[in-house]
Amino acid sequence: MKYDDIIYLLPLLSIGVGAIVLMLLSPIKKFSIDKLSWVALFFLIVSFATNALNFGMVYSIAPYAHLFSYMLVSDTFSGYFNSIIIAGGIVTVLVGTHYFDKSNMLRGEVFSLLLFAVFGMLLLVQSNELFTSFIALEIASISLYVLIGFQKNNVRRIEGSFRYLILGSMASIMFLLGVTLIYAGTKSTNILNIASYLSSHKTEDMTLTIVGGTLILITFLFKIAAFPFQNWSMDAYEGAPLPITAFMASTFKVAIFGFILRFVLVDFHELKNIWSDILFYVAILTMIYGSFLAIFQTSLKRMLAASSIVHTGYLLIAFVSIGSIGESAATSIIFYLIAYFLSSMGAFGMLSYIASSDHLRVTYEDFRGFSHVRPYMAAMMSIFLLSLAGIPSTIGFIGKFYIFIGAIESGYTILAIVGILATFVSVYYYFKLIALMYFYPSPEMKGKIPPLRGIPPLVIGIMAILIIWGGIGNTLVSYFPGIDFLIDTAKFAYQSLFMG
Amino acid sequence: MIEASFMSYISLSILLFSIGIIGLISRKNIFIIYMSIELMLNAINLMLVTLSKYFSSMDGQIIAMMVMAIAASEAAVFLSLIVAMFRLKHSLNIDDYNALKQKGTL
Repeated sequence: MKYDDIIYLLPLLSIGVGAIVLMLLSPIKKFSIDKLSWVALFFLIVSFATNALNFGMVYSIAPYAHLFSYMLVSDTFSGYFNSIIIAGGIVTVLVGTHYFDKSNMLRGEVFSLLLFAVFGMLLLVQSNELFTSFIALEIASISLYVLIGFQKNNVRRIEGSFRYLILGSMASIMFLLGVTLIYAGTKSTNILNIASYLSSHKTEDMTLTIVGGTLILITFLFKIAAFPFQNWSMDAYEGAPLPITAFMASTFKVAIFGFILRFVLVDFHELKNIWSDILFYVAILTMIYGSFLAIFQTSLKRMLAASSIVHTGYLLIAFVSIGSIGESAATSIIFYLIAYFLSSMGAFGMLSYIASSDHLRVTYEDFRGFSHVRPYMAAMMSIFLLSLAGIPSTIGFIGKFYIFIGAIESGYTILAIVGILATFVSVYYYFKLIALMYFYPSPEMKGKIPPLRGIPPLVIGIMAILIIWGGIGNTLVSYFPGIDFLIDTAKFAYQSLFMG
Repeated sequence: MIEASFMSYISLSILLFSIGIIGLISRKNIFIIYMSIELMLNAINLMLVTLSKYFSSMDGQIIAMMVMAIAASEAAVFLSLIVAMFRLKHSLNIDDYNALKQKGTL
């Protein structure tokens, strides 16, 4: 037995231990929410640091292969996704503590559940076996159901949680049925064994496997809120407390994409073209329906939820073209996930900080003349919205640029056209808020706006700077990690998938 | 021996799964919805155990055991949410829970 393999499991282990420690600490009265948030932060940072040790080189290792019988894998791909997910956890803890502190129903267990959700997502990205990924998906989802409905005297929270619970269980059951059918077809649930089975048999012999793979794909479309399965996301995102919405909208999507890219690229490598037709229409309908929903929303939380459906559509554009241009499509998906993660986490985080003390500022109208009261907050919010809309000099523009270029290269010009049209429409609902904040005189602001002080505005400010840096940084200072670094490591991540 | 009755077991599990889906779609009582979801999970368990016997390997049975554990944890969340919902509105009808519907537009 090799002892040095433990380094590859430390990110996972530290989060798991942290979740259990926090669960044990949270009933003790002496530990306030503030102290517990530092404990959670400690474990998250340990995990982030151990994950960063192997960053930047191509490797693929199955830690303790005999013990886990190749169920877990640690490669550059999982390292890349792990760092996004753990960063999501860190930002949620830093920004959310203020919110949790102000609402008295949210107690210390929140951090334990949050770490369990992060643990499930990390396991999902690292799993090399379909049933392990089912367990990981369930750990992450069940923690999220509880996090949404944690304030149990608020009917909206409970209802959002219950709707997500019913539909989410239905999706997990579809996943399990898919795994069972693949097991029936190939006698194995290990991704590498299935891949070698599929490459050594004729397509006519594997109907069961194709049906199983399609069921798993349905679960994937459900979890990222693509077109026919999008309605839960509006309810769940609106019902959840704002920091939890931020965590769900950005981080969970990253984890699901991490799993499905591994599944499609390694496992169904031979068959990935059979789904392009159906995904083509799903991508178009997702963008159209998402834009349509987002235009009519009056609440900002619902608008951001609806616009996250549109962003799912952009990601699906690259996912469709993965059949013909594997490497650049996968790279553009990974890069866009980072861009989307930064922008949406920042926008939701800013909203949650502004609304943390009085829950008054939730609709467009509440932000009329906001820039005259809190100019820096309005500027940060504008940067996030500009990045979400994909305006040049932000990281969101670069992400969209790669996705549309990839779609045109692989011959899906119609997808690129619909994507660009959806971007035009998105300018309407993002710029409406910017215009309301800047171009109107400020009336008497009702309620209490938290000041620009403390940790949450600092973290949000850093994210705003990162977005600008991702957009123009590389041309200013060379030799400092910028877009090129991100894209190169995304390529390494793609290559490490095929080393096993 | 299993070969002779293999199709009967698979048909039974598909039948149970379909009953579960129909229950999930058509019933209004949140308890029955929960029971339908459990029925579907157990139908998949039956399929897994049958396949494991058919392939004469233990993999399927081990997976079935773990599915039971996951179903139990899901049941804990389901039941606690049902209790919390009943406390708030004193109703088990899913139609009474419509706080998240956006009025007016769309």
